[in-house]
Amino acid sequence: MARRPSTPRSVTSSQEVTDEQLDAYIHTRLALLGVDLSVLPAEDEDAPADQRRIMASARRFLRSTPGAIADFEFDPLGPAPAIYPAEVSARNRG
Amino acid sequence: MGKLNRRRFLERMTALTATAAATPGALGAISRAGSRFPGETGAGSRAVAGRPDEPDLPPAGRPQPADPTELTLAEAARLLRDGDVGAVELVEAYLARIGRWDPRYQAFNTVVSQAALEAARTADRTRGRAPLTGVPLAIKDNYFTAGVRTTANSFIFEDFVPDFDATSWARLRDAGAILLGKTQMGPLATTAASTPTGERTTVNAWAPHHDGVSPGGSSSGSATAVAARMAASSTGTQTGGSITNPSNAQGLTGIKPTMGRVSLHGILPLTYTRDHPGPLARDAVDAALMLQVMAGPDPADPRSLGLPPVPDYLGAVREDAGALTHPERRGAVRIGVLPDFLDEPEPPEDPEPDPDPDVDRIGSSFPRRERTQAAYRREVATAEARRRMLATLEEMGAETVELDFPTRWETLTSFNFNNVRLPERSEIFLEHLRDDVRKFGVSLAPWINGLLLPAAEYVRGSRARLVLLREILDEVFGRCDLVTQTAPFPFDMVGLPLIGFPIGFETGSTGYPRPIGGMFGAEPYAEHHLLAVIAAYQRATDWHLRRPADPGELRPAEGDGGGPRDGADGSRGRDRSPGRYDLFDVMERGE
Repeated sequence: MARRPSTPRSVTSSQEVTDEQLDAYIHTRLALLGVDLSVLPAEDEDAPADQRRIMASARRFLRSTPGAIADFEFDPLGPAPAIYPAEVSARNRG
Repeated sequence: MGKLNRRRFLERMTALTATAAATPGALGAISRAGSRFPGETGAGSRAVAGRPDEPDLPPAGRPQPADPTELTLAEAARLLRDGDVGAVELVEAYLARIGRWDPRYQAFNTVVSQAALEAARTADRTRGRAPLTGVPLAIKDNYFTAGVRTTANSFIFEDFVPDFDATSWARLRDAGAILLGKTQMGPLATTAASTPTGERTTVNAWAPHHDGVSPGGSSSGSATAVAARMAASSTGTQTGGSITNPSNAQGLTGIKPTMGRVSLHGILPLTYTRDHPGPLARDAVDAALMLQVMAGPDPADPRSLGLPPVPDYLGAVREDAGALTHPERRGAVRIGVLPDFLDEPEPPEDPEPDPDPDVDRIGSSFPRRERTQAAYRREVATAEARRRMLATLEEMGAETVELDFPTRWETLTSFNFNNVRLPERSEIFLEHLRDDVRKFGVSLAPWINGLLLPAAEYVRGSRARLVLLREILDEVFGRCDLVTQTAPFPFDMVGLPLIGFPIGFETGSTGYPRPIGGMFGAEPYAEHHLLAVIAAYQRATDWHLRRPADPGELRPAEGDGGGPRDGADGSRGRDRSPGRYDLFDVMERGE
C-alpha cells in the first residue's frame, strides 16, 4: 500500500479572517478587474442590490467556498489528474 | 447503453479544457451586433438531418377533445397530419387562451400573434409532412429567434434581436413547429421568473392567485405556458434544475438531456459546463417527440459531435416497447434508490418561525428557509407519493435496488462545490460587469462572487467534478439502470440526463391541488431509458393527465396575500406581484 503524502494543515482558518481583511481583498480584486461597486447605493433595502448586501454576500462566499474546495483531498492512487469538462469534441471528429 | 457509453462519456469529460476556443465568449458583441457568427445560421437553413418526414407518431389513445388546446403535442401532430384539425384553428385557440389568461399567468415575454397565424396559414395551405407541422410552441427567451427579441429577461439583452435561430429551435421550426412566443424566465436564467429588479412575474398554473407557490425556475414561463394550455410544449434550459424543477412544480414531464445531446449554439449561456437545453412537455411521449427533433450533432457546438447516434425516442415510448425490460440486458429495469429518496420528514421544531432580521438572506448561496407546517405537510405527501410511485413501477416489473451514496457524494454535491460554476458565468459576462454592475439587477451577487474564486480553487473544483462523475458511473450505474434523485444539482454538475415527471398531488400546503414531482437520472445518452420507463408509468397512472383549472374558476386561498388584483375573472390587467425572490434562491428555484 503506497503511503499518502502528508497534507500540511492551514495556518489560518478562513473563519478567523476579519471583515476588514476580506473587504480589502474584495475591493482590491474588483479594482484590478475594473469592476466598480460604488455605482450601487451604499445601503438601500428597496434597491435590487446595494453595496452592503453585495459585500456581505462576498464575505460569506469567501469564508466558505474557497476553503472547502481547497480542503478536498484527491486519491493519489486515482486516475491521472484532469479537469471537467473538456472541449475535446473537435478532436473526436471522424 | 452500458459500459461503452460510460467510458466514452468519461473520456469526453476528461481533458484539460480549452473552453475559450469553442464558446461564445464575446457576449457583449452578441448583444450589440447580433450574431457573432456571420454566415453561420446554426441549423437554421438545414433540414432536420436524419429524421423521417413522417415519424411513427404514437397512435391516438383517447377521443379527440373539443378544445384543441387539450391535445397533447403528439395528438396535435397526428391530427394536423391527418387533416383532422387545422393549424390556424390550433394557433387561434392557443392565442385566445394567451389573450384571456396570460395577464394573470405572465408566462410570456413576447407573443408573436401575427407571425404565428401567418405560419399556420402556410402550414394549412402546404400540408407539409414534417413531424411537427402546424404545432404551436413556446420558446424560452434565452433561445435565439431570428427577428424576435431575445432578452433572457435581463437589462443586458433587453433590446437584443438575433438574426439567426438557435440550432435547437431551428430544428423544431424546420420540423414544422410554429413559434407562439418567448417565455418569461429568471433573469439571465437564474431563479424563478421575475423582472430584472426581482419582482415576481410568472405564477404557477396550479395556484395562479397564490404568490407563495413557486412556478419553478428558471424556465418558469415555459412551464406555466404548457401547464396552462397556452402552448403544446415548450423549451427550457437547465444549469441547476431549470427544466426538472418547473416541470415538477407544474405537473409536467421535462427532460434534461446529457451534455452535448442538444446543441447549445444560439442560446445565451449562463455557464460553459452545465447549460443543457431540453423540452418541457405534458407527458413522456411529447417529451420524446420534442427531444427527437431537438437532439443531434451540430457543427456549431463541438460538444454535440462525436456522440453515439441519437436513439429512437419515439420507439422507446411506444406501448409495445417493453419499457420495463432493459433492451440490452433483457432483464428487468433496475431502479436504484438512494438513501434520501424515501426519507420521512421531521416536523419543524418551530412551526412558524419568524424571519431573523439580522440574517442577510440576499447573497447567501444557501438561503435560509423557514420550514413551515405547510412545507412539512408537502414533504410528507411527497414521501408518500415517492413510495407509491416505486410500488407502481415494481408492480409493472421493475426491480428496485437500494443503494448507498457514492463515496464522496456529500462533499462533492455540497453547495461549495456547486459554486464552482460561478466563475464561468462571471467570465462570460465580464465586460458587462466592468461596464455597469447595475445591469445585473437583483441577481448581481453571484456574478461578483464568481470573480472572487481563485483560479486554483476553480481548477481543483473542476478536478473534483470528475471524481464525482467517476463515482456515479462506477458505484451507482454499476448496479442499476436509472436512479432516484431528490435534487437536480448533482447530475447537472456532471452532465448526466435527468427526467422530471408528476407522481401525485397534495392540497395540504396551500388549499389548492399542487403537483408533486419525481426525478430519475440515467447513464450518459440513456434518455430513451428514462423516457421509456416514464411513458410506461404514465400508462399506468393519470397524474400527467390532470390539468389546472383556469384562473377564473379559482378563488384565492384564505389568508393568502397573493389574491387577485385584477378583474374578478383574473383576466384584466397586469398583476405585478409585490414579493421579490431571494437573490440566491437558486437551490430551490433553479437556474
